[in-house]
Amino acid sequence: MATAGLPWWRNRRLIPWLVQAGVGLAVLVLVAFLVTNLVRNLTAAGLLLSWSWLDNPAGFDIAETWLPFDAGLPYWRGLLAGLVNTLRVVVLGLVGSTLLGTLAGTASFSGNALLRSLARVYVEVIRNVPLLLQLVFWYFVVFLQLPNGSAAIQIPGLVLAKSGLYLGQPELVNGVWQASMRVSVEFGALLTGLVVYTGAFIAEVVRGGVAAVPAGQWEAARSLGFSPLQTLRSIVLPQALRAIVPGLNSQYISLAKNSSLAVACGYTDLYSVAETTLNQTGRAVEVVLILLGSYLVIDLTISALMNGLNQLVQLKER
Amino acid sequence: MDSPLLRRLRRDLFATPLDGLISIVLVVALAASAAGLLHWALVQAQWAVIQANSTLFAVGRYPLDQQWRLWLLTILLAAATGLSWGLLRALPRPDRPARLWPFNDRLAAVLLAGLALGLPLLLRLGTAIQLRWWVITALLLLARWAAGRWGRRIPDPVRRWIPLIWPLLYLLGMVLISGGLGLVNVSPSEWGGLLLTLLEASFAILLCFPLGVLLALGRRSALPLLRWGAVLYIEFIRGAPLITLLFLGQNILGFLLPGGLAPERVWRAAWVLTFFAAAYVAEAVRSGLAAVPLGQLEAARSLGLAMPQALIHVVLPQALRVALPATVGQFITLLQDTTLLSLIGLLDLLGTARTVMANPAFLGKNAEVYLVLAVLFWGCCAALGLGSRALETRLNTHSTAKA
Amino acid sequence: MIEARGVEKWYPNGFHALRGVDLTVEQGEVVVIMGPSGSGKSTFLRTFNALEDFQKGAITVDGITLSDDLRHIDAIRREVGMVFQQFNLFPHLTVLENLTLAPVLVRKLPKAEVQRRALDLLERVGIAEQAHKYPGQLSGGQQQRVAIARSLCMEPRILLFDEPTSALDPEMVQEVLEVMQGLARDGMTMVVVTHEVRFARQVAHRVVLMDAGVVVESAPPEQFFANPQHERSRQFLSQIS
Repeated sequence: MATAGLPWWRNRRLIPWLVQAGVGLAVLVLVAFLVTNLVRNLTAAGLLLSWSWLDNPAGFDIAETWLPFDAGLPYWRGLLAGLVNTLRVVVLGLVGSTLLGTLAGTASFSGNALLRSLARVYVEVIRNVPLLLQLVFWYFVVFLQLPNGSAAIQIPGLVLAKSGLYLGQPELVNGVWQASMRVSVEFGALLTGLVVYTGAFIAEVVRGGVAAVPAGQWEAARSLGFSPLQTLRSIVLPQALRAIVPGLNSQYISLAKNSSLAVACGYTDLYSVAETTLNQTGRAVEVVLILLGSYLVIDLTISALMNGLNQLVQLKER
Repeated sequence: MDSPLLRRLRRDLFATPLDGLISIVLVVALAASAAGLLHWALVQAQWAVIQANSTLFAVGRYPLDQQWRLWLLTILLAAATGLSWGLLRALPRPDRPARLWPFNDRLAAVLLAGLALGLPLLLRLGTAIQLRWWVITALLLLARWAAGRWGRRIPDPVRRWIPLIWPLLYLLGMVLISGGLGLVNVSPSEWGGLLLTLLEASFAILLCFPLGVLLALGRRSALPLLRWGAVLYIEFIRGAPLITLLFLGQNILGFLLPGGLAPERVWRAAWVLTFFAAAYVAEAVRSGLAAVPLGQLEAARSLGLAMPQALIHVVLPQALRVALPATVGQFITLLQDTTLLSLIGLLDLLGTARTVMANPAFLGKNAEVYLVLAVLFWGCCAALGLGSRALETRLNTHSTAKA
Repeated sequence: MIEARGVEKWYPNGFHALRGVDLTVEQGEVVVIMGPSGSGKSTFLRTFNALEDFQKGAITVDGITLSDDLRHIDAIRREVGMVFQQFNLFPHLTVLENLTLAPVLVRKLPKAEVQRRALDLLERVGIAEQAHKYPGQLSGGQQQRVAIARSLCMEPRILLFDEPTSALDPEMVQEVLEVMQGLARDGMTMVVVTHEVRFARQVAHRVVLMDAGVVVESAPPEQFFANPQHERSRQFLSQIS
């Protein structure tokens, strides 16, 4: 094709490159502008990028940790303890919300009309109220109103009191509950809030997945003498998993990200430690990098695991 | 004895013994919770915390002597809403019902009137304020009625410009709220409550949409640099929790811009919300674009349409229709996400609630306040969702592209 | 009107789709291109209005040489109409809007005038009463007739047809072919990729057989169907009859 003497703004082959060069240049200039400012402003504030402050003693305490931590330990230990706290609530949240979501999702196929509509109402209420509002509700209105001492709510093997949630064989010693395992009400409120919220979304994923299974499968199972519950469990759900697993992936990732709202119920997670660290050190850039990096790693891990599971589910079909 | 009602009850609730047991347990549990809630709401709850702070919840610490500006804005908004609503019905198109007062509209009008009459009384607002709300609602319904009745008589050239009142009103609203053009400046730090929540949400919704469309087009572009740029941006944003991005906006934006150029905290948050939501809207629009067959673009190009013309007149209208439910879903999420502003110290609805409850007079009134906020958010979000579903069915009545 | 010389095209995956194709189409001529699937006939047709690009050779349409010059491409697309196998009507626009969109946007003609012409054209293809319906409400045959009218509304000097009846139910093929026959009678220059032997026999001035990216035979229909010169043509004819 002849191109000689063609002005550039009419050349079909040149224009894509010119557009890309233009956009690339604009982005480059913007980034250069921002970075120059950043360096100049950070230098002026004496906060140029450095990681050595991570070794300084933190000087703050964390109320509830799995990793041992006290104010004398360095910042990085504090951030690590926060990360472990985040992971703890995320892992338990994944398990809990999957159970609740599957329950609510399958309940929407129940023969019992009351159960069906209850599942519907649960999903519609939870999805239309902000998570943060739900978290403060659980914390301030439910968990902080729990009674203490002998008035605490006692279920065999479990005691719910304002001073914490006790598992194992809780006993009352001098008006204070003691047990082999105790978690704080802060953790309880956060976990409950996340599980109830994510459960509603997972219920929708499960419902969509089950609805995607052809009606003929139900009829075939019914004609073989399966009960509705048996049909659901051994015929429909295994097939629905194909559609459910990808949907679960994104719900799991949003649960991990949403766990960063822990600060609303007073639970010390990674974000909360990071905020305290920033307030003490002023190291905004480093702290934000650590935060973004950590959540990215968590997201990628969940994605990788779910992709593995997805392949397992899809292969079984063949 | 074998009435249809009984038969239905038996089929729906007592088909098997297990079903019957579940039903009885559920009925008892529901009745007990309903009774408990009712008892609490009517006897124990102290709604004074809402009644005494209604202004704070509505507009935050907006100066008392300047609040007439917000009233004026509300009046204008009501008039514009009534006008648009009426015109929508007065000028039927193939994709709209031809009746002037369809059932849904009557229902909406009655609901609106009921809210306007009931809520001020419930909140024990002052007589003057009550009266204002009644007048505003009457104005809205009057404009709806008048525009529906005489909308057809407006000459065509004038009619075409009427949608422009919305962007104009938005700009005017910004001036009325923040000051300028001879009005006293009201600093953003004095905005709060519902005002701040709606302002941040509407700002982010309006701006994230075009940004999201551009990102989606970039992600599907044939040009590798644009594609990878869009992918990088979208995945970076979607990988980070919103709170960390808000945190970034509050703490790092000041370093990224030359001294003094960084916007007010309220606006920083609004921009972060915008850029955050854009990534999610982009994904919704991308799925819409994927649903438009390539042949549509080829047909448009072979008719001589330039690429931008083909996108604007042929591809995007179809893609956005498919993307509508997911996009509105993102807008709903965005509205809910504004509550996170309370975590970075802004006084949106939730932030205002926290300051109210820090007041010794209202200590421990969490349940009342949070319940009211939950109902408010639930109402707004459910209404948005309902509207989106209605629009979707209406758009689907005529066909979508065949592959 | 169309002059293609030694056109060669490779797909990005390396597939050599066109291997030096020559074709000349005179004004008012109706050329039917036939050939087995994968022979490159659709690809070749789509190079005429730059929907596909090519690496070697030259194509001149209506005196304009296809090049990287966007102005030439725009000019050619204005003069060359195209009808697709899948109709590709715009489903969000009414039939009338489908017709008026391009003339108003591209030729900048006044809307009222274009609408008058569009209604005339719909009359001509026999669906004037459907002007305000949406494409999804029409049958396949009606949709394809609208697509033809949409191309005509740009007043093209050449019409390209890419298997216009392949996606239609059998009983609807005839109504589309009749419209095309009428166009041919009126002297429209047409290049048609199709498997419709009867159309080729009755309407075409010339039949071109393509196979494996080259033109195998080019002859008037009487000669092509009665007495094909090449072994490949005989094979093809025995397969489709």
